[in-house]
Amino acid sequence: MSKLIIELTINNKKRKVETTASTRLLDLIRDDLYLTGTKEGCGKGECGACTVIMNDELVASCLVLAPQADGAVITTIEGIGDDKCLDPIQEAFVETGAVQCGFCTPGMILSAKKLLEENPHPTEEEIKRGISGNLCRCTGYQKIFDAIRLAANRLSSKDGGRGEEDA
Amino acid sequence: MHQRTVPCQGYFAPQKIEEALEILFKYGKEIKVIAGGTDLLIQYCDRLYEVGSWLDLKNIEELKDIRINKNQTEIGAMVTHTQLEKSEDIKKYFPVLSQAAADIGSPQIRNRGTIGGNIVNASPAGDLLAPLMAYDAQFKLLSTQGEVIVPAEEFFIGPKKTILEPAQLLTGIILPLPSERTFGCWIKIGKRKALIIATITLALVVEMAEDNKTVKEVRTCLGSVAPTPIEIKEIREKMIGKKFSELDFNQLGQIVEDKISPIDDIRGTREYRKDVAKNIMINALEKIGSAWRSHK
Repeated sequence: MSKLIIELTINNKKRKVETTASTRLLDLIRDDLYLTGTKEGCGKGECGACTVIMNDELVASCLVLAPQADGAVITTIEGIGDDKCLDPIQEAFVETGAVQCGFCTPGMILSAKKLLEENPHPTEEEIKRGISGNLCRCTGYQKIFDAIRLAANRLSSKDGGRGEEDA
Repeated sequence: MHQRTVPCQGYFAPQKIEEALEILFKYGKEIKVIAGGTDLLIQYCDRLYEVGSWLDLKNIEELKDIRINKNQTEIGAMVTHTQLEKSEDIKKYFPVLSQAAADIGSPQIRNRGTIGGNIVNASPAGDLLAPLMAYDAQFKLLSTQGEVIVPAEEFFIGPKKTILEPAQLLTGIILPLPSERTFGCWIKIGKRKALIIATITLALVVEMAEDNKTVKEVRTCLGSVAPTPIEIKEIREKMIGKKFSELDFNQLGQIVEDKISPIDDIRGTREYRKDVAKNIMINALEKIGSAWRSHK
């Protein structure tokens, strides 16, 4: 029974956690840190429900061993926005009705966040590619695309009023 | 609290290749080498507890670079698919490899999955394998006993089987730099664009002679059509030394169809793969033809 202790920064908080070498990051996040916004769907990296941002990259937390995240900086859905104020991407998802059962939503929002950070004005094709690692079985994706476009417009107009996609 | 994982013996994450080799030498088959984990953790998803120890390569910085010099490129085994896709050098010299990396999985998979992992996993459908063979790649295998360099084509011996010994580590991939008159085409066929295991892949690389009319060298490599990624060598004798403009694309496509040995599986039947192989070979030759003409 060999336990090991890892340290990571999750949603801007430093945490020390006792775990094992064969614990998945997903289980550490959900069962040890009680951050249950991160979901388990397929457990094989195909559905994206377990998506988190690790060291500034989108990853499927079901395909990361907990000790592989030792020293990492991680953002989960709980680290987006705060109790008083939603992130503009979350707001856009609510407004466009891009949330139905909600199971894919945390992963979708993190993928959308990463996409818009790297590419503030994505085309339809770029949006599709950006969320290609996230499955949604309710919405048919159209409202999710609408939400991402809306968020892109708002974020870029905050950046300096370049909301040209509205035209 | 619900406990789904069983504690295991150990986890090593050395910073130096030498330390990793010592650990491998000591533990041999008892230890699992892990890079990105995007294949390995799926293979073990229901039985992680079976793994005695992990050797994680994440801290070995020298395995994470793409180094280009005058004659060749060396890609570290821990270079991710995202790195391959975004590297300007890979785009310029090895566009087929760059495009194949961009077609793998999803952003989440490309950010973690590595070139070394794709090679060592040795799936007949491994997306990078046909492109690597088409660019005449060699693999650098290290152990405490020293270094061995093997051509890609000798490395794969069956589905998920390679010549890699338990005490050996794949550390790098060596690619000769192609000439300016080299043209490549990558085609991946699958049921959807993202997160799909290929039904069939083709990496075709053609180098023109100095007259820019005659074919000097050609490699026609396919995935998902045989127990390992393969090159159709018969294409060489039909193309090398011939004028590109006089090639019979249909005949070349037929050779590819005849020389592959695909199986029926959930991704496609043998017959389907044979038909598609011929067609994508013709398409690839047409694409290379138009790239060559606009380059002239």
